[in-house]
Amino acid sequence: MTTLSLDSAFRRLRETDVYRSIVRHGAASTNRNRSLVVFENLFLHVHPVKVREKTLRFTHTYWLGGIALACALILTATGVLLMFYYHPSVPQAYRDMKELEFVVDNGLFLRNMHRWAAHLMVFATFLHMMRVFFHRAYRPPRQFNWVIGVVLLIVTLLLSYTGYLLPWDQLAFWGVSVGTSMAKEAPLVGEKSRFLLLGGNIVSENALLRFYVLHCVVLPVALVLMLSVHIWRVRKDGGVQGPPEESARREEVR
Amino acid sequence: MPEPPHDITNEEVQDRPDRRDFLSRLGVGACAAAAVGSGVVTLDFLKPKVLFEPPTTFRAGDPSDYPEGTLRFNKEQKAYVIGRPGGVYALSAVCTHLGCITRFLSDQSIIACPCHGSRFDLEGNVVEGPAPRPLPWLEVAMDSSGLLIVDTAITVAHGKVFKA
Amino acid sequence: MSSLPPLDLVETADPLATPRRVALVRPDLRPAVRTTDEKYVMTFPNLIVREVILFQIVVIGLALAAILFDAPLEGIANPLETPNPAKAPWYFLGLQELLHYFPPVVAGVLMPLLVVVALVVIPYARINQTAGPLWENAGPRRALALAGATGAVIALFGAFKCWPIVVPTAAISLAMFSARGGESAGAFRRAIAKVTLPEWIMVWFAVVATILTAIGTFFRGPGWSFVWPWAQAVAF
Repeated sequence: MTTLSLDSAFRRLRETDVYRSIVRHGAASTNRNRSLVVFENLFLHVHPVKVREKTLRFTHTYWLGGIALACALILTATGVLLMFYYHPSVPQAYRDMKELEFVVDNGLFLRNMHRWAAHLMVFATFLHMMRVFFHRAYRPPRQFNWVIGVVLLIVTLLLSYTGYLLPWDQLAFWGVSVGTSMAKEAPLVGEKSRFLLLGGNIVSENALLRFYVLHCVVLPVALVLMLSVHIWRVRKDGGVQGPPEESARREEVR
Repeated sequence: MPEPPHDITNEEVQDRPDRRDFLSRLGVGACAAAAVGSGVVTLDFLKPKVLFEPPTTFRAGDPSDYPEGTLRFNKEQKAYVIGRPGGVYALSAVCTHLGCITRFLSDQSIIACPCHGSRFDLEGNVVEGPAPRPLPWLEVAMDSSGLLIVDTAITVAHGKVFKA
Repeated sequence: MSSLPPLDLVETADPLATPRRVALVRPDLRPAVRTTDEKYVMTFPNLIVREVILFQIVVIGLALAAILFDAPLEGIANPLETPNPAKAPWYFLGLQELLHYFPPVVAGVLMPLLVVVALVVIPYARINQTAGPLWENAGPRRALALAGATGAVIALFGAFKCWPIVVPTAAISLAMFSARGGESAGAFRRAIAKVTLPEWIMVWFAVVATILTAIGTFFRGPGWSFVWPWAQAVAF
């Protein structure tokens, strides 16, 4: 009898028919199989099989877009879990916050994580935009992807802002009251758009429900759509763009 | 054996431009009309028809409760009722800047907004800060039993004092 | 205009023509001029592993933050009681600080709209595509024009007594002008001499936005009066 090591167990698992029907290639020990890892996988195939070594350097992108994406994933996971305990109604919404804090196991942890991830996502998105600007990575053919990025920044801000009302505490209520009063000052459409957004003249239960729907459905769907286009275009335009290359700079000067 | 595909000719591509043009315009037009129509209907759907918001009128008491220099703050209705020689007037307590609720500071006899530092005098005029307009004056009326009624939904001209 | 033919000239009107790929690469406009001897590596494991590590770092960092700091929760919403001060979320406090100086139409609608429009226009503005260092081949006319422009910005915001914008604007324009003729000076001046005009503007925007947000978040207390950060609790 052979001793069963973890390694050999994994090797056997990889050779089973079921495993091979899911993952068609063998162990990623050859360059052929390493290519297959990327291009036989729906999620990884936003990547090319090979990447420019330079793009892996930290100073090339500072991984800022990656941090924002990681935040978006964490926010989706924690947000869906929080939805199981949340009622978008007055005053139940606030009671649910208390329940999450004192009754639900790890409820406070999830709410904390959701909140800090939201702040980090706003911050990382802004820094990502600055990085792209100073690396001049918005130049042709990437002009439109920069515009999509600006839209993504706005969607991120709106997501964070609509989420801000949901706890229905004083901070939430007055933060949103002050913010939506700004919209009122816009000429022509201001008053009407505020009425539509709040579903009334004041921040009330209607507003809570509307912000909830925007926060949990409309804006996440918009984010996923725009994010897909954003990432797909990065790939189509030749991968992440770091600082302008010295050769290009020299050409410019000439 | 299937017939090999023959090369498309230029004439075939541009076959009957009139009919094609007409049909494609009709199609695009129908789609545009449908899009505009559903947009309008959706907007209308999103506009609440019945609002369960608090009533806008409140009883402010007897006119004799307001000798000169009295100021009463109605918290629920966000309004000040102020007495003045021979009359009473009501001021909205909602800051004209961004909708925060102002407070009356009796020691300075000034109405101050906690949000962005706007200050108003007792007639609602902006003394200081970013508020763009004076506080609106609200309609004061008297009901059949001689009590004052203030309607926060109706604003009246600045300086229109209710004379009992 | 450039001497290169516009792109539509390359396309033919003949619908039956077999499409051929034609590449027009303008070295002054493209961010990446491909160098032939670039080194490529396999995406798996080089990139994928790094991505996984990045995700783990973010998760661990946020989990630590969630354990150490609790999300704020105040009393239940009360429409009748405005807390003093009433603050928006931190990323809007720069705007709220502006609202202290400008009428709501300007600070709440016009300025954010201008910022968004400016950001969208960036990649389409020609000056961004080809800009060289600001003071390279620049005569006194450019210095005069820029002095006029910065002076106008300072005067405009000064008229509203908006010091959080006036002071950084003055500081940055000072830095901008000190970069003039700095190509042969010390390392720092040589570095800032390389900065282009769009980059100066973006630096200005980022610094002003940061300062306004920081003031709104940490230095504003009851009645939007100036307070020291340690004199009040800040809720995020």
